[in-house]
Amino acid sequence: MSSKTAKPILHSAAWRISLWATLAFACGTMLVFVFLHRFVASDIQRRSDAWLSGEVEVLGDVAERTPKDALHDRVVAEVAELAGREVPNRDPMASTSNDSVFFLQTGSDGSLLLWVGAGSGLPNLKAIQTSRIVPDRPTDLNVQGTAIPFRVASTRTDDGSYIYLGLSERDELRVLRNLRARFILLWLVLVLLGFGIVFYTTRRMLSHVREITDAASRIGHSDLSARVPTTARRDEVGNLAMTLNHMLDRIEISMHQLHTITDSLAHDLRSPLTAIRGKLEISLSSGLQGDQSEPIVSVIEELDRLTDFLNKSLDVAEAKADALRLARSEVDLDELLEIMVDLYEPSMSEMNIQINLESNGPLKIEADAALIHRMIANLFDNELKHLPAGCTVNLLLKADQGCASLILEDDGPGFDREVLLHLFESRVKGKGSNGHGLGLAFVDAVIRAHGGAVTACNRQSGGARISVTLPLAFRQRAGSSAPVTRGPLK
Amino acid sequence: MRLLLVEDEIDIQSFLRSSLEEAGYQVEAAADGKTAEQLAVEGEFDILIVDLGLPDQDGISLILRLRQLGLHAPVLILSARRSVDDRVRGLEQGGDDYLTKPFALAELLARLRNLIKRNSPPASEATRLRVLDLELDLLRREASRSGQLLQLTPQEFVLLEYLCRNAGRVVTRSMILDRVWGMRIQPDTNVVDVHIYRLRSKVDCQGQKPLIRTLRGVGYVLKDR
Repeated sequence: MSSKTAKPILHSAAWRISLWATLAFACGTMLVFVFLHRFVASDIQRRSDAWLSGEVEVLGDVAERTPKDALHDRVVAEVAELAGREVPNRDPMASTSNDSVFFLQTGSDGSLLLWVGAGSGLPNLKAIQTSRIVPDRPTDLNVQGTAIPFRVASTRTDDGSYIYLGLSERDELRVLRNLRARFILLWLVLVLLGFGIVFYTTRRMLSHVREITDAASRIGHSDLSARVPTTARRDEVGNLAMTLNHMLDRIEISMHQLHTITDSLAHDLRSPLTAIRGKLEISLSSGLQGDQSEPIVSVIEELDRLTDFLNKSLDVAEAKADALRLARSEVDLDELLEIMVDLYEPSMSEMNIQINLESNGPLKIEADAALIHRMIANLFDNELKHLPAGCTVNLLLKADQGCASLILEDDGPGFDREVLLHLFESRVKGKGSNGHGLGLAFVDAVIRAHGGAVTACNRQSGGARISVTLPLAFRQRAGSSAPVTRGPLK
Repeated sequence: MRLLLVEDEIDIQSFLRSSLEEAGYQVEAAADGKTAEQLAVEGEFDILIVDLGLPDQDGISLILRLRQLGLHAPVLILSARRSVDDRVRGLEQGGDDYLTKPFALAELLARLRNLIKRNSPPASEATRLRVLDLELDLLRREASRSGQLLQLTPQEFVLLEYLCRNAGRVVTRSMILDRVWGMRIQPDTNVVDVHIYRLRSKVDCQGQKPLIRTLRGVGYVLKDR
């Protein structure tokens, strides 16, 4: 019973663990980036603001000091143009034509005195007039017709005119865009790499768990000597393996104790039974008359029943504790049932009970032959003891999904309603039964010990039905022949 | 026929000794492994009965030890244990036999006879069996009594053959189940009895001397006298 699936990698918990870990990692790194981005953006702005403030100061100075003659405007325009070439964060690949900076001087009445920059300067003037620009503090300015806002610093000259120096935020945004693009790329690589590493390590770790699971599932009901593989590492997985092995040690010890108890109980009861039986047999053979031998005969029969009861009780007790020891060999259920029907048929026909066996041919299981024989005999004994005359017992044996399925049906009175639910428990017996109520408990115990199942119910049309399934021997699981019906064997 | 009985329970030892002696064996008894080893080395035995639970050592260890010392006689192992040890199975395959306690004396005697027969040079296999006026042709699988052919089913023939081979000796129900049907089971119904009644109704017809006798509490016997 291997727990291995066809594609274990698809069903691995490593996926889930890696996904969650990667998600946490991705969120963390993204958060770090957002802070970094904000820091870089504010730094760039601070630097461009410092440049703007400095330049506008210089330009104000120049405008003030230059004599107001014909050359005044040209000198100021020249200085403004020169300043524009030293723009911070400027794209070195961009053309020399400079549209990222404008210089604007207004008179005290707000009229345009001087304009250096791309275009006519009127939209800029209009934007400046509509927004309140405080001197000496750079402010954002949205100019109609330009997608990217300008950062504008201003100063007031002594003659009452205002000087505005505007710097397009285009370069600043470009730097940030580049930063973002690179980060996203790096982030994706990191996240994928992180996922890969987490998945690999988790899977490696879980593969130890899977090895433990596989080994644990191989440890059978009755064979507890195997142990799960341990690793030298003292981590959780290593501890799990060690704990499992300690647990198996303890189970093995208690199983051994159970065996010791049942064995010594059996021994302590069987030895006196042997002596008593032997002595009775000797006195029986010493030529007693019919009347005198009768009590001895009945005592011997009682002793045999007691022995049988003892054996069954101990078997049921061990099977309930999953400790029944099995000596497995190949058993052909078809052949066995045929022999059993042959054995029981005369007794049944004495009682006017008919028995039919329908089988699909040989059906082999790996089982403890002696236990299976006794189990089937119990089922037959049960029918023989409880069925009234004139009934029919039908046995159907077939292979069904890797299991041998044996269905035993009769048309008798069925099980007592109150007994039906507890049918396979020890000490449960019908009203009319004079047995010790172990027969079906024993049947159940043997079938369970072999990894099978047994169910019982009353049929709709009347009568009882007991359905037994037992795992087939490995070699038997391929193919079966056509059904063969056998009547009562003569 | 010299027999060494190794059994520590005095009660069991005494009744076994008396019934074995009655059956014609010369019995030496030992209550522990050490004594048994001494006796086995000193005397020649044809067969041994060894109980598995000896006070000083395990019965199987004793048997293996005796085999090492050159003992060839077959061993009937008596066991009060519940499960049959793998080593017992090994010995069984090596020609020994085992019997679980409690057992019927008749079965013990039958197993002893079987072991001795298995170990003696094979006599030419008879093709006919004859018990009084009952005759079995083993090749044609036919039985007749006083010249009258009996209408037997194959299974009834096997049962009668088994009774004939043990004529004059008691066979128990579990022996019949083991030898005729190949099962070590203890049915708590009368399945074997009904087979015997049916066989008897065919073998012991009216006016003839009844051959198949029931010994209540013990088993059956086919009379040879």
